[in-house]
Amino acid sequence: MRREVPLFITFISGVLLVIALFIPHKPFGNLEQRFNDWYIIVSGFTMILGIDSLLLHHWNRFKRKREGWIYSIALILAFFITLIWGFYSGIKVGSPFKPNSSFLKYFYTFVFVPLQATMFSLLAFFIASAAYRAFRARTFDATLLLTAAAFVMLGRVPEGNRASVYLFGIALLIAAVILLLEAKERVSTFEKLIHYLGAIVAIVLIYILYRVLPSYLPQIADWIMNIPQLAAKRGIFIGIALGGIAMSLRIILGIERTYLK
Amino acid sequence: MNFWERLGRIDRRIIYLVVFLGVIIPILLKVTFKVEPMREVKQAYEEVEKLPPGSAVMISIDYDASSMPELQPMLVAILEHCFKKDLKVIMLGHWPLGLPLGQIALDKVAKKYGKVYGKDYVFLGFRPGVAAVMINLGKEIRQVFNSDYKGTPIDSLPVMQNIHNYNDIGILIGLEAGSTGDMWVQFAQARYNAKIILGATAVVAPDLYPYLQANQIVGLIGGLRGAADYESLVHVLGPAYLGMPAQTTIHVLVVILIILGNLGYFATRRRK
Repeated sequence: MRREVPLFITFISGVLLVIALFIPHKPFGNLEQRFNDWYIIVSGFTMILGIDSLLLHHWNRFKRKREGWIYSIALILAFFITLIWGFYSGIKVGSPFKPNSSFLKYFYTFVFVPLQATMFSLLAFFIASAAYRAFRARTFDATLLLTAAAFVMLGRVPEGNRASVYLFGIALLIAAVILLLEAKERVSTFEKLIHYLGAIVAIVLIYILYRVLPSYLPQIADWIMNIPQLAAKRGIFIGIALGGIAMSLRIILGIERTYLK
Repeated sequence: MNFWERLGRIDRRIIYLVVFLGVIIPILLKVTFKVEPMREVKQAYEEVEKLPPGSAVMISIDYDASSMPELQPMLVAILEHCFKKDLKVIMLGHWPLGLPLGQIALDKVAKKYGKVYGKDYVFLGFRPGVAAVMINLGKEIRQVFNSDYKGTPIDSLPVMQNIHNYNDIGILIGLEAGSTGDMWVQFAQARYNAKIILGATAVVAPDLYPYLQANQIVGLIGGLRGAADYESLVHVLGPAYLGMPAQTTIHVLVVILIILGNLGYFATRRRK
């Protein structure tokens, strides 16, 4: 019974909601409304569950003196300071988020916002470092990806088109030199020829990009975003949607039961 | 290790320092670049511009402080546009930690234009259950928000008179740092045909282009560049516009780092 009742509730709720989407009239329309109201109430209670789980987890870490327990103390203290200050401001001025509330003025504006913004800002440093370390033209696909990324990065910022002429010019010049050096070391005439040809193409490309990029880089970036990027995104979206439908059906029909564990 | 190989092994602390300087110097020097608004931002601007005075605009705060540098200037520029055009603003949100940011911007811009709370704008706040909230808003706003964030019944606020669901809203603008924008499209647009503009962080924006091309959203404001574009369109040059030189510097820097990294990589490979 412990399993059958939740499975039955899931089946009935799922089937009724699917029917309500296609027949939004009485009695299904009203039922959907009722379900949504319940969903909002249940969602509210999940917050309590989340808080309980978070505090219990960190309390246990502190109690057992696990590695990094000091951070757990910081979390628990921060949680209660926020809670008490929030309630205090709420009682004093009616809401912790009123403009004259000390919670909003001092805690939210000067502690919470800078802390959260700082965490996210660190990404800029990591992204720059990661791009330097990982974006290598190891294969044709990787070269294509990093070239597209460079076009979009420069095409989407003001003055990027001017900078791009120099940057792509230098990159292609380096590529041409590397190809010429590589050609010297090749034994086969065919391979030598291919490398020389590559170097010539790189030099010709410098001239073409010099003529094209200053005027057309934003359009090139737009084209990358609107055509190849969109095609890939649509494929991913369709895959996600099909996966979602399949998983929903498995849950409604009781095949997928991991949520009961 | 020769010079070329060293290029492939620059200490990460040097990179961090260069990034720091790349951001801070243009901001301190207050350098400005002229921006040419992107097509999708112009579309968003024109859709708001087309609304007759008195129309309602619903703005959803679906971000928090971590995405504030990109989305807050966007919100301020949109609010400036709405209040300049005498549009009614109804604000709510699905990210509870970001709601005060919305409220701070709303109060600040409303004060600048002499707008009155309850008459010209309202702040509804947050209700849990994102999808259910969006579906219920399409039926009757009062089923989800029978009062504003202060607890005032919304029926007593003149701004909410004759506003019951998406049909009474001129445009819905979602400011997104996550996947809530997809849900707005799935529930408010696909189901109730609501007219939607999405503003999103640069990371999220590429996910929203399919909706723009399919006309499921009528405008897209992406990242700090999108915010700067909107600021220039409403002629209020704020933090996004001033942040563009820093962003250009960092983008150029990342491309330089990629070139240097590859140079080092090829030099090492040749030696091997």
